[in-house]
Amino acid sequence: MHLRYMPGASALHQLHPLVKFGWLLFLSVLVFALRNPVAAVIILAAAISLFAAGRLPLRSVAGMRTALAASLFLAALQIFFVQDGEPLFHLWSRAVTTSGLSSGIRIGGRFLAIILLSYAFVLTTSPNDLSFAMMQAGIPYRYGFALVTALRLVPIFQQEAATVYKAQLARGFRYDQRNLNGIIDLPRRFLLPMLVSSLGRVDYLSVSMESRSFGMLPKRTYLRTIPFQRRDGFALAALIAATVAALAAPWITSMQS
Amino acid sequence: MISLRDFSFTYDGSPQPALSKVNLEIAAGEFVVIAGPSGCGKTTLALAIAGVLCQQYNCKTDGKISVQGADVLRAPVYETAQRVGLVQQNPELQFCTLTVLDEVAFGLENRCVPREIIEQRVIEALERVNALHLLGRELASLSGGEKQRVAIASVIATQPPVLIFDEPTSNLDPAATRTIFRVVEGIREQGELTVIVIEHKLAFLRPFFPRLIELEHGRIVADETMSLQPLTAPLTTGRCSPQTTSKEPIVTVQDLCVQIDGREILSDISLEIHAGDVISVMGRNGSGKTTFLQCLIGLVRTKRGMVFVAGHDASETPVSTLARAAGYVFQNPDHQLFANSVWEEATLAPKNFGAFDASTDKRTVTLLERAGLMERVEDHPYRLSFGQKRRLNMVSILSYQPVVLLLDEILIGQDPANARFLLDNLCGAAGEGAAVLLVNHHPDLTTEYANRILFLEEGRLRVDAPISEGLGQLARLGYHAFLPYAMHPSPPSETQG
Repeated sequence: MHLRYMPGASALHQLHPLVKFGWLLFLSVLVFALRNPVAAVIILAAAISLFAAGRLPLRSVAGMRTALAASLFLAALQIFFVQDGEPLFHLWSRAVTTSGLSSGIRIGGRFLAIILLSYAFVLTTSPNDLSFAMMQAGIPYRYGFALVTALRLVPIFQQEAATVYKAQLARGFRYDQRNLNGIIDLPRRFLLPMLVSSLGRVDYLSVSMESRSFGMLPKRTYLRTIPFQRRDGFALAALIAATVAALAAPWITSMQS
Repeated sequence: MISLRDFSFTYDGSPQPALSKVNLEIAAGEFVVIAGPSGCGKTTLALAIAGVLCQQYNCKTDGKISVQGADVLRAPVYETAQRVGLVQQNPELQFCTLTVLDEVAFGLENRCVPREIIEQRVIEALERVNALHLLGRELASLSGGEKQRVAIASVIATQPPVLIFDEPTSNLDPAATRTIFRVVEGIREQGELTVIVIEHKLAFLRPFFPRLIELEHGRIVADETMSLQPLTAPLTTGRCSPQTTSKEPIVTVQDLCVQIDGREILSDISLEIHAGDVISVMGRNGSGKTTFLQCLIGLVRTKRGMVFVAGHDASETPVSTLARAAGYVFQNPDHQLFANSVWEEATLAPKNFGAFDASTDKRTVTLLERAGLMERVEDHPYRLSFGQKRRLNMVSILSYQPVVLLLDEILIGQDPANARFLLDNLCGAAGEGAAVLLVNHHPDLTTEYANRILFLEEGRLRVDAPISEGLGQLARLGYHAFLPYAMHPSPPSETQG
């Protein structure tokens, strides 16, 4: 399964895209700011519970195994190479120490938490809704539509790239046989047709948009509104409170000490 | 309403003007069709009236164009957009959002129309193109005809008094084409709009008696009311009648089934193709024509069944090997030009196959001469016109004489003269013992050349018969839009597609 938006009706799906994005940002910064391995584990647990809340299949998402393997590798590196602190036990003649274990959990947990949080966001947020929400929140609509049209063009370009590849096979380029002949020229033969056709596409699209008055006024109206509901208000209030608390915490602790 | 005075336009870097001294008056409420061979300046004229020409290209113009008294050459595009709506050829590529709702609302939103009014106008616009049922859909899930109807709705939603359609049906099957033209005529009648249609497929427009303007080399050469007269043109077949020579088939397909992303695209197709066959492959958009063609060169993996092409099992032979026997021309010429010069392009495949010798050299020269490309052999392929690129695509396949020719909608956007050139060449190849499969939406042209017709319906082979018998079967199945014009039972406006 590809890593892209999966429509659904869970609370996570329905959360306002910008509030959700705010939380993603907050938690990602937090997991880096906190040096305690327990914090990394807690945020990781929170990320996993988000998958449950969004009714997302944790296993079938593309790249999940790679992410898990990478985070275990990172953790293992720390555990093996950080040698200060109290030794706990020995593994293959290397000491596993308290600080090695703690930084392994911290770094591996951080990595996995960030990946899972981002996945949870991408899987439950329609990129289209996100762009419209951004525009309605005041981001200039030209930038918003740059995103929307990119979403529109990416699948078209993918399809065209596949066609160009097929067309080369059909003309006897032996990419499908173990043969390096001509493989050096592949990028050049590939890029020119793609460049020519994508420039054409962009031209075509801009005629279509401008001839429907795109860019006429500094603002525009929207038929699609991204509703800001009561629970979005609560989520936003909670986010602000959490941010204030997180910012204030070091002050408080430093004043106490 | 619209007035052009001595209007001339030259594209940057082009020696000849695309339009020269065009004078034209179009009154409010007129229905105008602009026709002419490829490269005659039709699209340039459409873009000029819509006011986008000078914004798109470095502007070398002379003369004046005014719409409702406003000078569209100087006015910003968004201002002209309030007077002129433009529907382009390819619906897929003119969408800038992801859903039907967003797309139809787009123009109104840009003008800061309040939400309640947008909502109402979106519904009205979709109703006028008979597409209200598509309101909640994503654009990617629509068929070609549905997409073009939504594209039209997205333009008429802002209610411009002038509508320009630039070959709105060139990517559509005949049934969808007929629907689109009926929609266009309906919009015009109800809304008392001025409508300009740029089109090759004149037969479909005859029932509406439009004013026909013909362009050639950037000049108006004819301007008259289209009559129903040529309707009675006799049905010609057998323009190309090669002998199906061998008893042994070149292509054998048995119980072919293909699934893509879990959806069955082709089901239980069995047939044999012999040397000398010229086969017209037709069907609605999405009926599986392209997939079928790609199966024959191994580009699509089969789920069940067997495909043998010139002795190779297509499911086990690499495409680049099978390609020696089966030449394939794709729909878009820009996707299949890989060399740095016309000559290199024409000889690319034979060199890849290690089959370039003196006789190939000679044949390529002859083919290029016939295609009128011999003076351009040093030029980069991308410098050619659309029609010339198409001819080059054809030459680069014919140069190594594959025994099966697979051609996917190569007649799209080709004027009759260019189309005939392509078909005559295919006919020649068939005479030399090749089998030709031509996926097309042009029964008027292909009926003259083909000896056999295949018609696909939702992945199943509904008709496989010699040409005249096959046309009879199509008529009985109710697919009148897929018959040559001379066989239409009555003016198309009164029958169902």
